[in-house]
Amino acid sequence: TAGDKISRSGACRVSLSMAEIRAGFTAVKANIQSRDPIRTLSILSHPHSLHKVKSSDRCCLTHHLFTFYVDKVFKQCRTKDSFVNRKISSIANSFLSARRKLGQCGEQNNCVCGEESTEKFKQILANYEGLNVTSAAMKSLGELDILLDWME
Amino acid sequence: SGELYCSLPNPRNVRFESINMKNVLHWSAPEGTGDGVLYKVKYAVYGVGKWIRKAECQNINRTWCDLSSETSDYEEQYYASVKAFLNGACSDWMETTRFNPLTDTKIDPPMVSVSSTDKSISIILTTPEKWKRSPEEESVSLLQVYPGLQYNVSVLNKKTKKRWFFSISNNTLVVPWLEPGTAYCVSAQIHVTTPLLDSGFSKERCIATLKDK
Repeated sequence: TAGDKISRSGACRVSLSMAEIRAGFTAVKANIQSRDPIRTLSILSHPHSLHKVKSSDRCCLTHHLFTFYVDKVFKQCRTKDSFVNRKISSIANSFLSARRKLGQCGEQNNCVCGEESTEKFKQILANYEGLNVTSAAMKSLGELDILLDWME
Repeated sequence: SGELYCSLPNPRNVRFESINMKNVLHWSAPEGTGDGVLYKVKYAVYGVGKWIRKAECQNINRTWCDLSSETSDYEEQYYASVKAFLNGACSDWMETTRFNPLTDTKIDPPMVSVSSTDKSISIILTTPEKWKRSPEEESVSLLQVYPGLQYNVSVLNKKTKKRWFFSISNNTLVVPWLEPGTAYCVSAQIHVTTPLLDSGFSKERCIATLKDK
């Protein structure tokens, strides 16, 4: 679709409807972020920023993060607001298909996990597990723009 | 002023207003308070464990505070907060929503310069610069911040009122096969697809093609 964009993660190229995901997130960003009262903790961006990850490690970390959002985050983010829920599931579907494509690319050994991406992802999981599941999931969802900014 | 009792109404509509990543915190005075209200401002980098008071915005009576310097790293996100004081009473701290300089800034239109021959006009577009602390600081074009940045260009034949639209990625455009001795007006807009950001259209720049030789 017009908003599709090739997201280059290391040797892998995944077509992803970034504009659609962005629009979906922007529509619910204020709502989602208002459910996260913790200013002093971040799942994705601290203590180490995604932007400091070497490009050779991008593919692996991107795949890890897609899996993280699909398996851990989206499932825990049901709200009483049907509009918000619809936007979340639309984003989740886009992530699901992107993960599948990235997985296929990974099978051709184009998505090597270096020490840096492994360490970074461990930190993200530690941040996530440092909170109760619902808070951690909602915070992660509220940080989707951090992931999208990095992917672009 | 000592903070005796926080019964003062809260500052309202605390938000960032950002243009080309010049990020200024704005708010409205608490309801029903006349003159004499003073304010304190603090900010926090999202995910980092401390609030920092903005020195130049302690006990101020204006209702804005420039936090461009503190929020210049657009790979981070931020919160800011304001507290009001009057006659020993105070309000609660009132926070902004989470501010992402990359997606929450507005972009000025590009600068447009035009020149003409008898049958064509040439257009050069200049993208605005990201805010910087001082003139000596190295300039960063918003083109570097938003690599996918494009331009929408409108060209109007003043005589026939016919208008063309062009969408271009590089910053120069030559419009050929025009009528000699005719005035054309050009206006341009910046368009970023993701994150979705559009500037307004620039003021029209008009130029006449040269008369036939």
